[in-house]
Amino acid sequence: MSAMKLSEALQILNQPLPNTASPRDVFLACGFTPLHLKTFLAAYLRKGLPTSSIKIETGLYGDLAGNLERLQPSPGVAVCAVIEWTDLDQRLGIRSLGSWRSMDISDIVESAYRQSERLTHLLQQLAEKAPTYVCTPTLPLPPIFISSGSQVHRQECELREIAASLASRLSSCHSIRLISGQRLDELSPLGRRFDPKSEITSGFPYGLEHASRLAELMAALIRNAPPKKGIVTDLDDTLWAGLLGEIGSDRVSWAVSGTAHLHGLYQRFLESLASAGVLLAIASKNDLKLAEEALAREDMLLSREKIFPLEINWGPKSASVHRILEQWNIASEDVVFIDDSPMEIAEVQSSFPEMECIVFPKVDHVALWELLKQLRDQFGKTTVSAEDDIRLHSIRSSKAFKDSMLAPELSADNFLRGADATISFSLKPNAQDHRALELINKTNQFNLNGRRLSESEWVSSVQAPNAFVLTATYEDKYSPLGKIAVAVGKTVDSKIYVDSWVMSCRAFSRRIEHQCIKFLYKKLNVDEIVFDYEPTARNEPIRNFFLELLGETPKQRFSLQKASFNAIVPALFHRVVDLGNHLSAVSPTE
Amino acid sequence: MGELHDRLVRCFSSVFPTLTETEICGTDLQFLGNMDSLAGVTLIALINEEFGVDIDVEELLGLGTFEAIREHLREEKIL
Repeated sequence: MSAMKLSEALQILNQPLPNTASPRDVFLACGFTPLHLKTFLAAYLRKGLPTSSIKIETGLYGDLAGNLERLQPSPGVAVCAVIEWTDLDQRLGIRSLGSWRSMDISDIVESAYRQSERLTHLLQQLAEKAPTYVCTPTLPLPPIFISSGSQVHRQECELREIAASLASRLSSCHSIRLISGQRLDELSPLGRRFDPKSEITSGFPYGLEHASRLAELMAALIRNAPPKKGIVTDLDDTLWAGLLGEIGSDRVSWAVSGTAHLHGLYQRFLESLASAGVLLAIASKNDLKLAEEALAREDMLLSREKIFPLEINWGPKSASVHRILEQWNIASEDVVFIDDSPMEIAEVQSSFPEMECIVFPKVDHVALWELLKQLRDQFGKTTVSAEDDIRLHSIRSSKAFKDSMLAPELSADNFLRGADATISFSLKPNAQDHRALELINKTNQFNLNGRRLSESEWVSSVQAPNAFVLTATYEDKYSPLGKIAVAVGKTVDSKIYVDSWVMSCRAFSRRIEHQCIKFLYKKLNVDEIVFDYEPTARNEPIRNFFLELLGETPKQRFSLQKASFNAIVPALFHRVVDLGNHLSAVSPTE
Repeated sequence: MGELHDRLVRCFSSVFPTLTETEICGTDLQFLGNMDSLAGVTLIALINEEFGVDIDVEELLGLGTFEAIREHLREEKIL
């Protein structure tokens, strides 16, 4: 896709905002005149967050470090720092006329090193107060080295090492995210990035295309779209080369020979995604026994246990996909379907218009490379959490849990009593709890109001006076489910106001939601909870829960008295562990 | 008025969204606000993006009016 033009950016920004637009504040820290970069950043953010009123503030020209040092980020602000070579040493630009004599270059390198240390320290400090997004130098170095342009000089390598080290140290800080230099290289050719005329006349060093691309990536970091959750893949000519039914399980191939290699790459990539918590399932028109034989082959690059469920039958693919979504209990828009047959793709797409359906490029090496990049973009995440590690196991056990619950000889109470469940609650607000934010931003069904939070909003919610963040981690004899529920709110005048409350669909039917409320009443010592409830198209499960508690479906925000709750709450059999302020206390209930 | 005219009006409208076409065409640039700062630099960048023609701030102010800029672009063989 081509870069946004300046005229398009202005057109977007000139559109009226909806009355309900919520503010989204950004501080753009750079050492140059922000000019069109600021315009593009505002436009990309507005495009990606159409209901937000984007306000971008900037600092002083030529003083990136000072701008970062002076910044006292207000709640909810996101900090963007764009570092260029001139921020490491002014002599690495063309506006200053400092010496480029060969004997002075080592001093430039030395000062760039010192300044990179200073910037690292400042950004790490800032990141403790606000989500921080950083771009390390993107422009070409000026021709200051004694070697010809075709030969890299040692001092140039040293400068690049300083920039690389800066990026490496910043990227290891949890609250800092960096623009990918590789992706920027793909989108913005190095030779067209620098505009010397604009730099000298306006103090703005970027060509328009480069400013647009850099802003696009920065906006994507700020927007932080939640990753998709699962891939449903075909088998024949997709996971492997060849038709299982024709050549048998021992002759389908993904070996390093011809185009079969593409299937090996695909398997290896799926294994990589699965190791980061992405769900994998198979929908294939095939013979189940043969397929199991092939999947069990020792040379498979994708482990059999990473795949669940298998839908291998001769029925329509859309029906198989439907059953897979039911097992995973996730929405079709969170899933990618991959098949080599355009007809199957069309059939599934017609049943699931929201699902991304991709034809597997079985003979096109370039297209496969692009597919792998596309999938990484769609499933990319910053860290792999403990929940990512146990997700598949808990989905499998969830099925066992549901199957057991349906056993006719067991009442729900008897079943739950025997589940040997433990819920660990924490009420400690932690802005670094990425799993909690992830849950809020990807949970649809048991979701109080469907509201999503930006990283800045999350940090300010957590740091607000009287704020609480309740997180619940669950395990039972079937499996651990990890951190599965989050409630965010505040206590005011002996009432609790719950602004967000979500629970993973994997945790349904265990009365965890009841235990959450009970814990809040007890721990925060209040008699009333106000839920900022709003119905959405998809939060029926929480609506039904409230119906059970209230005897009627709430239409909007409502309050629940402790006495009313206690009168209706069913028996709870969990062991409750209070992780409050890192002090554990176990108290079995009922 | 022609394609060149319309394209140039769009450039001006992007920078001065509250002005009508008549106001854009009839007003001296110096009355359009801070033409020597952000608006001027943005207008120059838009003209460059739209027509591939490089104009300086001084040159823009020297041309003075929408019509003069349009004529300048016509002389630069922009259709």
